[in-house]
This record gives sequence, structure tokens and C-alpha cells, in this order.
Amino acid sequence: MKYALFLGCKIPSRLPAYELSTRAVLLRLGVTLVDLEFNCCGYPARNVSREAFVVAAARNLAIAERAGLDVLTPCTCCFGSLRHAISFLEEDPELRSRVSQALAVEGIAWSGKTEVEHLLPVLARTIGVDALGAAVRAPRAGLRVAAQYGCHALRPSNVARFDNPLAPTTFETLIRLTGATPVDWPRQLDCCGDPLHESNAPLSEHIARAKIADAKASGAEAMCTACPHCHLRFDSAQAGSPKPSIRSLLYTQLLGLAMGLDEKSLGLECPESPIRGR
Amino acid sequence: MTGERRNSFDVAVIGAGMAGMAAALFAAQRGLSCIQVGSGGGVLFASGLLDLLAVHPAAEGRQWQSPFAALAALAREQPDHPLARVDPASIRTAFETFVTALGEAGLAYAPLDERNRKVLTSIGTLKTTFGVPLSMVAGANALDALDAPNTPNTPPRCLLVDFRGLREFSARQIATTLADRWPGLCHGRIEFPGFEDVPELYAAHLARALETGETRDRTIALIRPMLGDAQLVGLPTVLGLGRCREVHAAFEAGLGVPVFEIPTMPTSVPGLRLLGALETVMSARGVRRRRLASVRALAFDANTGTATLDLDGVPGGERVSARAVVLATGRFSGRGLTADRGGVRESILGLPVHQPASREAWHQRDFLDPSGHAINRAGLRTDDAWRPLDMSGKPAWPRLFAVGSILADQDWMRSKCGSGLAIATAWAAMQQLADQLHGNTG
Amino acid sequence: MALAATSVKKTMPHTLFHTALYASLALCVLGLLWRSSAWFRVRVGPDARAVTLSQRLGALLRGTATALFGARVLHILGACFLDVLLLRRLFAREKPRWLGHLLILAGFTLLLLMHAFEALVTVKLFPGYESTLAPYLFLRNLFGAMVVAGIALLYFERWRRRTGLVSVRRPMAAAFAVLLGFVLATGYLLEAHKIASPQAFYRMAKRYSGTTDPGELMPLRAVWASEFGVAFDDLKEPFASNVMERGRQMHDADCAGCHAKPASAFVSYPVSRLLAPVTALLDKGRADIWLLYLHVFACFLGLATLPFTRFFHAVAVPISLLVNASAPNRAFSAAGRASRRALALDACLRCGICDAHCSVAPLARHLGNPYLLPSHKLVATGALANGRLLRSGRESDGFRVAEGAFLCTDCGRCTNDCPAGLDLEDLWQAGRGDLAAAGLPAPAQWVRALPALAWAEALEAAAGQHTATDPDASCAPLSADRRSFSRCVQCQTCTNVCPVVAQSIAADHRVDLTPQKVMNLLRLGLRDLTLGSRMVWDCATCYQCQENCPEGLRVTDIMCELRALAAHRLGAVRSWKAPS
Repeated sequence: MKYALFLGCKIPSRLPAYELSTRAVLLRLGVTLVDLEFNCCGYPARNVSREAFVVAAARNLAIAERAGLDVLTPCTCCFGSLRHAISFLEEDPELRSRVSQALAVEGIAWSGKTEVEHLLPVLARTIGVDALGAAVRAPRAGLRVAAQYGCHALRPSNVARFDNPLAPTTFETLIRLTGATPVDWPRQLDCCGDPLHESNAPLSEHIARAKIADAKASGAEAMCTACPHCHLRFDSAQAGSPKPSIRSLLYTQLLGLAMGLDEKSLGLECPESPIRGR
Repeated sequence: MTGERRNSFDVAVIGAGMAGMAAALFAAQRGLSCIQVGSGGGVLFASGLLDLLAVHPAAEGRQWQSPFAALAALAREQPDHPLARVDPASIRTAFETFVTALGEAGLAYAPLDERNRKVLTSIGTLKTTFGVPLSMVAGANALDALDAPNTPNTPPRCLLVDFRGLREFSARQIATTLADRWPGLCHGRIEFPGFEDVPELYAAHLARALETGETRDRTIALIRPMLGDAQLVGLPTVLGLGRCREVHAAFEAGLGVPVFEIPTMPTSVPGLRLLGALETVMSARGVRRRRLASVRALAFDANTGTATLDLDGVPGGERVSARAVVLATGRFSGRGLTADRGGVRESILGLPVHQPASREAWHQRDFLDPSGHAINRAGLRTDDAWRPLDMSGKPAWPRLFAVGSILADQDWMRSKCGSGLAIATAWAAMQQLADQLHGNTG
Repeated sequence: MALAATSVKKTMPHTLFHTALYASLALCVLGLLWRSSAWFRVRVGPDARAVTLSQRLGALLRGTATALFGARVLHILGACFLDVLLLRRLFAREKPRWLGHLLILAGFTLLLLMHAFEALVTVKLFPGYESTLAPYLFLRNLFGAMVVAGIALLYFERWRRRTGLVSVRRPMAAAFAVLLGFVLATGYLLEAHKIASPQAFYRMAKRYSGTTDPGELMPLRAVWASEFGVAFDDLKEPFASNVMERGRQMHDADCAGCHAKPASAFVSYPVSRLLAPVTALLDKGRADIWLLYLHVFACFLGLATLPFTRFFHAVAVPISLLVNASAPNRAFSAAGRASRRALALDACLRCGICDAHCSVAPLARHLGNPYLLPSHKLVATGALANGRLLRSGRESDGFRVAEGAFLCTDCGRCTNDCPAGLDLEDLWQAGRGDLAAAGLPAPAQWVRALPALAWAEALEAAAGQHTATDPDASCAPLSADRRSFSRCVQCQTCTNVCPVVAQSIAADHRVDLTPQKVMNLLRLGLRDLTLGSRMVWDCATCYQCQENCPEGLRVTDIMCELRALAAHRLGAVRSWKAPS
């Protein structure tokens, strides 16, 4: 099993633990990750120019296509962005020809051969729950976590093709495999607030804190995340609060621990992590 | 493509209204693998009340206390009516199965009775229905007094509460409208806690907010002083979305009297709750959903016996195959039927539609004519196994089935039998479908 | 004169040489002082404006003291060796460029020490030193060739790795490279000419053999013509063996102590062969003198102008690298950060490695806005900090700089890849602060300055003036097409499922419309009214509305489109009055 790893911009600069733990876990599971020189997924440009957004995204797809690889991304927003670009390219032939021209300058092309996959479904479907279950050596029994899918993993469902967007189960299944328990929390499918932080920081914070409070009230000890944006938003929304609050825990870290990988290789140096001491 | 995505199924259900959902549920319950195409948006227009059959004959507008008595009358007088073609015991089982599944998904219904119930609506009318969500049943219980034989009885004293800014629901209007039938109705208005600065409120936002304990407690504390001698409390449908059972229970415990919700006008919380619960049901039973897709083409292979569905709205398109297909695409609003100058067509396969001979005969002169409009009885005719017929009057395909409102010879809106039609025909058709598939596989 | 090579001593008047040398040295020192003073004057970032000059100087002193006497001294020594001398960061990223750079650095430094400072260095270290002896002849040529090869390699790499992106113009750097080439060329030419020159031969013969008589010197001339490349126009090979024998004896007696065969000067010697036919002419024109003047004065010119060209990076980059090494994890005080940013503006040598790897480079290319690229952004950040951008008064420049700054995704690749080790992320953040303070914040912010209605009125007022092509159909196909929203039945589902409206409960951060109302405005043909709407700009793009719309409207996609359209159309009617 071989993928081009698309980390996006946020993970290398702000959340290297996600890269570390993703690589560690997938290495153990026998997945080969290839590093290509990708660029930004295009998401930030959606607010400026649809075409520039698609060009940026399509360039990544074309680079993966040239290497003959499918793309695997641990970032939910990059996932959504790349898949959106595909849907725009497919529905708009005129756009497609303009984008093709832009790519041709670099001698690359998009033809739609490359699939874009998010890490979670690759774990759940491609690698499969049986293989994952077999890899678990140190189940994190008793740990209660709130699964945070991230909006762009689920919606719009025709673009994401990830899971039932109103009643997803993939993440919960994956969490149970580690021995941890996913809690049922009403605001699970709400946005984490990150995308509007630049335009309306108080509202963004409010949304994030409502989610955190909800997860906590529902008995979660950690937010289990699979997107750097959600992960960092939860952490920063709690940064100023005096009470020790609920931590964000990357799914790859949880899985890595359950697989018996050491904390350092998972980027888990943070002493307050709730899984420590179990 | 590296990710394994299953693309062949036992059953493909086209449509995700009540009938499509019921068909997918019943097919999955029978152990069939199932893919379902359609947004489920139609469900958002539902009230959460599950009608079985409240009115018959539609032209007379006669209401029935017992839906099963009404079904018997229907069977006698309109044997072609789809509901009349399903035996009452099966209908009962279908309903039980359906509400049990919803209950497991967090949307609890009151135990099904033999009788229809009366439910207060947000415009102050009384609606006759069959399946009532648990959070609404206290109101129906109170209204039983109206139907109580012998003694002239009035329902108990009841406090209706609304929220400043929630435009879709006025307690005062309901109390005023019902004053003569329910003199014990009084009303009050509160500020929704935390939303004091918000000019315009939306029910789903309040429902979500009430799922947090603090907001819930503050709301209960605001209502409690208004109770007086009220023996029950009515609220708009805002008591939680996915956690309505927990929120409702907390209100009853906090107020010390039965609490009931009054269904708000669609589209609102009842529809969102129902859709959420149905999607949870589908997820739990492994039904693959293609919510924002539509079927562009449907073809049958005469040799292999399988159907091929080409889906639109999915990037890259998608092709799935199924051994059996269920058409649950609804009538005009669901776009199962298309009306144009030439007449009414079935949208996907162009199946012959039973319809008035000419456009002139579609409607009565008077829009409000009590006998209804002929066009509202248009639809697909099927054989006994719920297979739509082609021009020659034979099943169009051995394993193509049709359920719900796309079926001809019914006017569910006027008969108040929408859910009943959906659930009953889905049940019956899935039984046939399962027999067909099992017969084929030996 | 101790500094100068011996040949200079013999040729050039002392006062002239001294005056020129000290003048250019003074210019260089003054230039260095002026340029480095900017590291404490220039303020990049709002936090930098809050620190005073004395705080920054204090931070410098404290930093220097802790660097020299603190625990980091080993780190700093390590950085000195690995980062500054061996260019470790460049080695890790681009090996050909590293080689080019190292060739220039090593060749130039060795030439400086062995050749320019020969009286000061080489003579002292190697007692038998003569510039015309082996291996010095060879080494001088080698060092020069290293510099030439380095420059060529760097330009070749630049060409080979051309990205199609605009690179920052740097005329002074090119001029300086030409000057450097000129110094090398005149050096080689001078040496070549002296090899071939009979005039030089006779001058030396007079000094060491005491005669200039061609007949008397005939055997020695024969040897020098055939083995040392002197171009006597009155001699023809072959020479009789006894003549050669005699010549070699004379050579051993008078010349061999100082002269090795020039063939090891692998550049100058072949050049001297080329010059041979015109040597007589050059001798007549005293090429030895004017070539020397050109060579020496070109060196002085280089010295004097060094602080004012991009080659100043030769000073700024090492300092920047050492400063980095002085603090663990790049933890600096506000004052330290402020100075570091100003230093970064000087240390950037516009190598373009950052641009080539920039995450948003494809966006830069497609939007035609180079200010998305780090090297351009750095120049713009400097221009904003020193007031040039604002003084230019060109709105479009400011807008484009802001667009670039706010589309940056902070991926950190530029910081990671910078061979000079500049903390560019910190610089970008500071630059965005400066932009916001100058009235050029992110679109989501400047749109908020006016309510939606006021924006719509501004659009209406400007309707006559803007005849530019309507971008709608290509950039906002959904909102331009009625079919994508005409099915809306105003059922409120989008609003009911919207987390932004649901949490929009406090007056200070509330949105103005709901998704459903935005759709309704579109239905009513009032799209302009939506462009400045907070609902549009605060949309979380969570796709709840789109996923749940019973009519299948692509509500979120439309919201995204409206933003892009607003950035374009409201941007066109927006005015920017830079604060004075």
C-alpha cells in the first residue's frame, strides 16, 4: 500500500506531532508514504478566486498523478479542498481547460486518475478494522474521548464520500479499536470555529468553547481529533482558561499508543496528556 | 482507486423520504445489503407524527378514531388503494418495527395504540394521527378528554409557554384559537436563557442549547413560577435534537408535571430530529447512503439480472449495481413524477403513469373541492408484488419495486395517511423483494 | 603599503594608493555602520514600535555578553564553523548552490589572504614566498577560477531552477557581480600580459643580470621565449642546443630563485599565448600599468560599495546566523525580535530558494501577484516599515501587498528553507500587523468596516465608472445563475442547522443575516446586498446548510463564491487612505 502523503501547511508548521504520529502508525501498518513537493491545497484562495483555488489544488493532484500515486492526507480541510477542486473540475469543462493550460506551463496535467483519501477511511476501510485490531497491543481501556470528525471530512457528503454525514460511525469504530470509548456528544457535528477566526474571533471562540463544554459534559476526557485545524482551535480556545481543561488528542497518537509505539515517536511529550498514567 | 468502496448491493433504494427510509430499513432488517440514494430532505417537512389513516373517504373528510377500522372501510370501498392491499397485521408490525428502530436511534415514540390520537398543532388546531413521539404524548393524553364517551369533559389545566423572538410559535394564538374547546389553556412567554440579545430565534438553535444542562435548568427555573395550578405544560418543539428524550425527562422532573411538545411548523425541529434518527438507523444497519446524489440512469441487464445505477452529483460519477431496485421517489415534490405538456411521466425510467386522460381533468374547478383533484391520485400501478407495470400491464422488471406516494390510486394528503402509505407499502414490498431474491439465490 | 602586493609597490605612487585605499576603506566602514544602524532603527511589526532604541541597544549588549560569556558559546562557535564557513544550511537544501557559494567564498577569501594581503600574510607565513613561484602561480589562478566557477554555477542554477515566478530585481547585485568579474579579469590579464611581455623581461634582466643588451641576453631570452612564454618578436624557435644550455645556466644564476615555469598558471598562461601577437603593442601602451590601476581601483570600488549592494549579505548573514545560535529555540525578547527583523531585511540575499518552495507559489503565479512570494514579501515588508510603500501612495500596490500577506498560509517552509536562517514566519506576522495598522487588514476585516448596505450603495455609486469585464460568470458561476438558488423555498433549514447563527448570541459578534436570507436576497436579484454581509464573511464553511438543504441548493459553495466576488468587487470600490 503506497500513498503520496499530503500534509498541507498547518501540520508541518504548527502540529508536527500529527506528522510524526501519522508516519509512525502507518509505517507500523505497512503503508509506504511518499513525499512529493506539494503546495497549498488552495483552501485560502477560495475567498479570492475560485479558479486560483482550483489551480493550486489541481497542481497537487497532477504532481501525484505524475508519480502514479493516490493522495493520503491527515488534514480534513486539505481533504475537503482537494476533493472540492475535483468536483469543480468535473462539473465545469471551461474551468478545466483553463486549469489545464495553467498546469501545462509546468508540463503536468490533471486527468482525474488520482484519488484523494483522508487518513481515517484509509485506516478503517483500506487497511481495515481487522488489521488494525490485530495491531493493537496496549488497549487504552477506560479512556473516554469525543470524536471530532471535522466538517470537511463529512460534508458535503457527495464530495467527501466519507461516511453518513448525519450519523457517521467511522471514527467511533476506529476509537473502539484502540480500547477507548467514544462518547455521544450533541455538538459533535458542529464546526470547531476555526474557519471564522480571522473574520470574527469572539464568535469563533464561542463556538469552540461550546463544543468543548459539550464534550466535557458528555463525559469525554479528551477531544479525539483528525484535523490540525480543529485540534489547534480546541487547544487555543482553552489556552487562557484557568481550570485544567480537556485536551486534544490526535487519533494517530491514540492508535499509536494502543499499538504500543513509544510516546516520543508519536510526538506525545506533553505531560498533561490524559492517556498518560493509564 | 486504492480505497475499497463497495459498489454492488442486494438492493438499491432510490429516494429517501419516509417510504425510501422505511424500505431501506426493512430491507436491511432482512439482512440485505442496501444502498440508498436521495437527500432525505423530504423528511424535514415531516412533523414527526406518524399518520396511518385518519380520514376516509377523503371527499367526506370523515375522521376515524380507529385507523384499523378506517383501513377495513378503505379495503371495502377502495380496494385499489395501496393501503388496502396490505394486511392490517403487517401494517401493525411495520409500524412497530419502524418506531422501535427510531427509538433505538434516540427518537422515542409512545407505545402504539389501537386508536388514532389527537395532537395539538402550532396553529391551534387538532390533528388526528397514529404514532406520537414520546415528547408529545402528554398533550395527546390530555386531549383524550375530548373524546371521552358519556361525560362532557374538558382537558386539564395546561400552561403553554413560548419564547420571545421565536416567530413560528405563539402560545397566545393557540390558547385563543382553542379557548372554547380547552378553556383550561393559559399561556406565558419567557426570554430564552442566553439568547436575550437575539432578536430572532430559531427552534433548532434553542433545541441544541437545551441539550446543555445549564440552559435547561435556567429555562425550567423561568417556567416554574408561571405554573400556577397547571397540570401540564406545553412547549414548542425545542426540547433537544438528538437528546430529546433526556431533555424532555429533565423538564418533566424539573417542573413536576407532564410536559409535552407541540410540533412546530415544518421545516423545524421535528423534521430535523426525524431525519437525524432515520440516518442513525441507516448507519447502524449498514445502509450506504448517497445523500446528495441522484440517479441519472437506471438500466437492467437481462442476462445477469442486475440493475446498474449511474449516479450524478458525486465527483467522478459513480456506478453501482444492485440485484433489486426500489423506487421511492415520491410524487411531484419528490420529483418521482414530472408533469409537462404531454402529461405526467415517471422521472427515471419513463414508466407509464396512471393519470387523468387529459390535462383538463387534472384538477377540479374549485381548488378546495372536497373530493380532491384527480392529478393527486396519479402514480404508478403495480402488480400484487409491488412491481410497477409497463405499457403491456406486466411488471416492467422482475425485481423493480415501487413504494410510497409514487403509487397510484391514493391521495395521502387528504386521507392523512402519508406515513402509513410509506411504511406499509415499504414493508409489503420488501417482503416480496426478499422472497424474490431468496427465490433466485435458492 | 604593507598591505599591498609587491608589484603595486613598484608601480603605483604611494600617496595615490594610500589615499584611494583609505578613502574606500572609510566609505566601507561608514557604509557598514550606516547599514547596521538600521538594525536598531527600522521597526517591523506593532510590537517593534513599542520598543525604544535604547531597549534595542540594551538587548544587543546583553545578547552579546551572554553570547560571549554564557553557556551558548559553544553553540556559537559551532555555528561560526558549520553555518558561516561551511554554509551548512545551504548544503542541506541545495547542494549545487552550496558548491557555488563555497567556491566563491573560499576562492575570494584565499585570494584576499594570499594575494591582496600577500605582504601581510603570505610573506610572513612562507619565508621563500614569491608570487611567481610554484605553487603560488597555480594557486592564484586556481582561487580566481574558483570564484569564476562559483559565480557561473550560481547563475546556471538560477537559470536551471527558474520557476516561472517573477524574481525580485536586484540591479546592484548584478553590478557588483560584474565588478567582481572585472577584478578577476584584470588580474588574469595583468598576469598574462606580464608573462608575455619582453618589456617586463628586460626590466627584470636589468635588475638581476645588470644588462638589457639583447645580444648579451640572447641565451636567456631563448630559454624565456621557449619555456616561459615571453613573446620576443625578434626571436624564432628552434634555438640551438648550446644556446639553450647557456641560457639555462644564466636562468639558474639570476632568475630561477624567483620564477617557476608559468604553465602552472592555468588561466593566465593560455591567455598570455593569446595575447602574444599583440604584446608589443600592449608593451608600448604600458598595459602593465593601466591594467594594474584598473585591477586595484576596481578592488577599491568593490570595497567602498560593498555595504550598499546585496553583497552586504556577506556581513549580515553571518551575523544573523550567529544571532540565531545565541538563543535556544529562537527565544528573543521583544527588543531582540525587533532588531532581528530589521537584520533579516538586510540578510536576505534574494536567492529565491524560498520562492521556489513556497506553498502558495502557484497562487502567486495564477493571481499574478508576486507579493505572495517570500522574497517579494520581504521587500514589501521593508518598504512598509520604512514608509516607502505608504509614500508611494499607490493604492494598488498596498492592496496587492496585503493580498499576498494574508494569503500566506504560515506553512513555515520559507523559514525552514532559508539558507540564511531568517525567521521569516515572525517577519510575516509582524508585517501583517503593520499592514492592518496601515489600514490594509485581511479582507474579512476590511469588509467589516462598512455594513452590507453601505457596500451595496458604494457599488451602486461606482456602477458607472467600472466598465471592466464582469467577472461573475467565471468566478462566481453559481450566484450568477438563477437556477442555483431559484428553488429555495425559504424553509429555514439552512438557518436551523447553521452553527454560526446558532452561536451568534452576543450583540458584539452577531451576524447580520441568516443563510436563508442571503439566499432570498439572491432570489430577489439583490446580490450586491450580500457581498458585505457578515453572514457571508463569518460563514464557517461547515457545509451543514448545503448538506441539509431539502432543495439541494449549494448554499455553502455560494457563500464562498460571494466572498470571492466581494473581494473582487468591493475591493474595486474600496478606498485606502494610508494613515499619515
